[in-house]
Amino acid sequence: MSALVRLALAGLVRAPLRTTVRALSLAAAVALLGAMILFVGHSLRTMSAGAVRSVPIDWQGPVGSYRAATGVAHGVARQPGVLEAAAVATAGFAGTAHTGAVGLVNSGAGSILAVPPGYDSHINTFRLLRGAFASGSVVLDQQLAATLQAQPGDTIGLTPHAGAKPLRFRVSGIALVTAPDVLFQPLNPLLGPAPAQPPANVVLMPLATFAHTVAPNLASMAASQATLALPGTQTGVQWQVQAQVDPLALGGSPTHALLRATQIRNAVERSLPGQVVFVDNLADQLNTAAGDALYAETLYIMLAVPGAIVALLLAYLAALGTAERDRRDLALLRARGATRRDLLALVGVESVGLGLMGGGIGTALAFVAVHLAGSGAGIGTGRVVATCSICVALAIAGAAAARIAATVGALRGTVTEGRRSARRSERPLWQRLYLDVMCLAVSGLVYWLTVRTGFSAVVNPDSNPTLSLSVYMFFAPALLWIGSALLLVRLRGGALAFVARRAAGARATTWPSFLLASAGRRGAALNRGLLVIGLLLAFGVNLGVFTATYDQQARIDAQLTLGADVVASAPPGAVRSKGVDQRIARVPGVSGTTAIDHTYAYVGPDLQDTFAIDPATFTRGTTLRDSYFIGGTAAQMIARLRAHSDGILVSKETITDYSLSIGDLLKLRLLDHRTGAFSVVPFHVLGVVQEFPSAPRDSFMVANLGYIARATHDSGPNIVFAKASGDPAQVAQRVAAATRADGTTVRDIRQQAAQTVSSITTVDLGGISRIEEIFALVLAAAAMGLFVAVALLERRQELATMAALGATLREIAAFLWSEAALVLAAALALAALLGWLLAEMLVAMLQHVFDPPPDHLAAPWLFLGGLAGAAVLGAAAAAALAAAGISRLRLGAILREE
Amino acid sequence: MNEILARCSSVGVVHRQGTARVHALRNVDFDVRADDSVALLGRSGSGKTTLLHVLGGLVEPTSGSVEWRGRPLLSLDAAARARVRARGIAYVFQGSNLLPYFTAYENVAFAAHLSGSGRDPDRLLQLVGLGGKGDNLPAELSGGEAQRVAIARALAQAPELLLCDEPTGHLDSDTGERVLDLIEALQKEFDFALVVATHEAAVAARMRRAVELHDGRIVGEDVAA
Repeated sequence: MSALVRLALAGLVRAPLRTTVRALSLAAAVALLGAMILFVGHSLRTMSAGAVRSVPIDWQGPVGSYRAATGVAHGVARQPGVLEAAAVATAGFAGTAHTGAVGLVNSGAGSILAVPPGYDSHINTFRLLRGAFASGSVVLDQQLAATLQAQPGDTIGLTPHAGAKPLRFRVSGIALVTAPDVLFQPLNPLLGPAPAQPPANVVLMPLATFAHTVAPNLASMAASQATLALPGTQTGVQWQVQAQVDPLALGGSPTHALLRATQIRNAVERSLPGQVVFVDNLADQLNTAAGDALYAETLYIMLAVPGAIVALLLAYLAALGTAERDRRDLALLRARGATRRDLLALVGVESVGLGLMGGGIGTALAFVAVHLAGSGAGIGTGRVVATCSICVALAIAGAAAARIAATVGALRGTVTEGRRSARRSERPLWQRLYLDVMCLAVSGLVYWLTVRTGFSAVVNPDSNPTLSLSVYMFFAPALLWIGSALLLVRLRGGALAFVARRAAGARATTWPSFLLASAGRRGAALNRGLLVIGLLLAFGVNLGVFTATYDQQARIDAQLTLGADVVASAPPGAVRSKGVDQRIARVPGVSGTTAIDHTYAYVGPDLQDTFAIDPATFTRGTTLRDSYFIGGTAAQMIARLRAHSDGILVSKETITDYSLSIGDLLKLRLLDHRTGAFSVVPFHVLGVVQEFPSAPRDSFMVANLGYIARATHDSGPNIVFAKASGDPAQVAQRVAAATRADGTTVRDIRQQAAQTVSSITTVDLGGISRIEEIFALVLAAAAMGLFVAVALLERRQELATMAALGATLREIAAFLWSEAALVLAAALALAALLGWLLAEMLVAMLQHVFDPPPDHLAAPWLFLGGLAGAAVLGAAAAAALAAAGISRLRLGAILREE
Repeated sequence: MNEILARCSSVGVVHRQGTARVHALRNVDFDVRADDSVALLGRSGSGKTTLLHVLGGLVEPTSGSVEWRGRPLLSLDAAARARVRARGIAYVFQGSNLLPYFTAYENVAFAAHLSGSGRDPDRLLQLVGLGGKGDNLPAELSGGEAQRVAIARALAQAPELLLCDEPTGHLDSDTGERVLDLIEALQKEFDFALVVATHEAAVAARMRRAVELHDGRIVGEDVAA
């Protein structure tokens, strides 16, 4: 055995160029997988961190009294893994009143949030805009402050419950309550989180002030009473303990973070037996994130694994370059007494050597690539070691497989068989069974089912982190990969060769016809190149098209949720009276604006969001897609609205529920701001809308701004949509600065994308796709280079004979580059077809995940051009190197070879 | 006396094999005249094939000079040397060395195309007795047939000098005889100089001159009366 080891290692050392090429081929292939493993780890950690950050209050534990709340909060705060715990109270009130410059102003019912000092240092449920908390005073939510026209320093009256005597408080500040749906949700630990309709009016006050002034006027809700609570029905004081988990304790993937968060909560609840049970908002969010993480992992696998497998074919291509020499060497060893087992051991030792080199280099490449993609932070030693081990193991397996496949003849049963060149007399079983055709047929069938029956992926956020993915769906792209590869192997370049032979004519007599005739008879060799280069390019096309579509939909998703690139919400009347929309339009970086009025209207008993828009300007401020509408394009729907002032677009659900047809009269009840009463306003249905910028996912309506303003006498638009020609975040900052005095709240699409955590499109594919795209470019160039290099090695005696016949270097080189050009053209055509089909399949699988579904695939022309360019450059560089190689051929020595 | 086509003066060729230096030819003086027929006789490793390659410009000598029609071959660039080979010097190798992806016809046509001789491949194939095998690929031909195609291919170049390296080495004796007969007949018809490397004295005996090589040196020469 030691002799075999020495022989194998000597073989590697004595052919340094061959060893380097084979090791680098393996390294490139495993580096792609290594980068994916490293990136997935980073991505999952990022998802965990994002999910944790997005939760305003991790835990809310209902307790029975002020004393219990403060005591339990103190106990919880001391537990390991807990960052902060605070005693908090919420309660309803019947109304508030303020006498100001315009006289007495009353507000309706609302809710009180009472917090201890220092509460907002770790728990972010509100933001103080002006003033501060002060003992005996209240802080008003900005909406309530606007309603009451109250300022810090004013005094308001607060009526705790109907019939009670108003309590008088000084206003010490104005705040923006950012998480009212969570703050005032009913707390039932058995039912879990149930974010509620936010109260219209919110008053904040110090906990001690609340306990001594308001609480005595209201009954306390027992901890157990909360089990009966329903959203919006809080009648007494809800004492509670709010706590934040230390984010540092929640590392790893969302699933791991979920497990850890649950362990910490269980430990806290066990340490305070019978005193508190929490509503776990954090676990709920991490649960959703874990579902998204499963999706992300599935996506990464679907995108990267085919590329890595095809990249391993490069190792086979590299091994083919010296296959004939290797076969002779092995056959010679057999003739001299080595057994087949000895030869396999020799191949094994050589593969281990190559695998160690390729795996090591591959891991280093992966590490560098992930760092360059900005995803390298926090990669632990354990993951690096695991990645390296996997890369080395794969490289060893790849090296052995490539070597055995390339020199299978020498490993055959008898020495005589081994000395024959590798030729297969019988078709393999898979060809006889037409496995390739079957794979393609089943792939097509599954794709058809996916498209026709909506047989697609759905994340289930309400239970364990499971993915409602039918495994059959993944058969479509997987079988398309396998079937295409097998079909190419079966064809053995027959089609390409046929075309070349037809072009060459019956008997070659001219220079082009000599080139084509030669290529036409090298179908199998051309096919190897087509197989590797075509599939690699297909991988690149699939990756590029899918990623571009995915990015496009992520942007659209964020824009659909927010409404536009930049959205400014203004207090009632501000847009019209202060010309907010015109001032925003003048902000540098804003390319267009439109003002809309987000209001509500009753359709029968249903209160629906209603968006009053100006059809003439709407698309200046935001973008509409055809997929938002049913029965017409976006342009057609907007044109209909423009043509009919009383027109309205309604949801499909409304159409169904009220048996409506296009053109029907629809009577809505809208609030008349002049009378304060609802009045019936007639509309005519113009079309069906299923998505609309900033609209909720359930039913809503879209109508003309002017018509609604005349019918309701309201103060005009309250939201301005702006299209940004530059960076939306920077434009949003400028818009905020320009309109701050008007009380606007400005958000941008970047912010929205970061905050939308419930959608799969928030899984950031940017890093991994950039890495994969770079690998695709490099591998495509390398594959072309290897194809030409292998052709040079395989044909060197033929080329030397041409030189002996008097062919010049340029004429000989033409035989190599013309084949490279043929393979490249065929590979590009194959990649365009296969890559596009694969991207179509992946997008079809995720059709219902995208909100809205994509109208069409996005083509990243720059990347696709770069991919084709890389392959052309690789071929050109290889042809130039081949020409140099031909000039250095030792003709005398080669012509003596047999 | 006919003009000298090719002349080697004090030619030495040294190959490197790892760290070792192998002297393939040592101080060889040799010339070939028009309509000459010369046998390079010697055992394996004596330098016969290397001398053939030096004569055709396929191998550059380490020392000495090679002239083609009085012009130093080494002064020409690679493209010019290729043109000299295409239009003046043809090879027939031991193993035929047919281009494997060309038919018999195309092998001959390719050589005719490179040389610009304008010779008809079909006629040349008929001349070597392979009129019906033009569309066969080399893999579909027997050893003797392949060697005859190689001869036809050499003739397609309209050579002034034909260099044959063990042309019968892979053939049985009967076929070998027929191939040699064919070469001799063609030499008479097409009037080219012939140099044949061989280790068989019987083959050498058919040539006008027999030059014996041993360890890269010319050790003797016989000229037929």
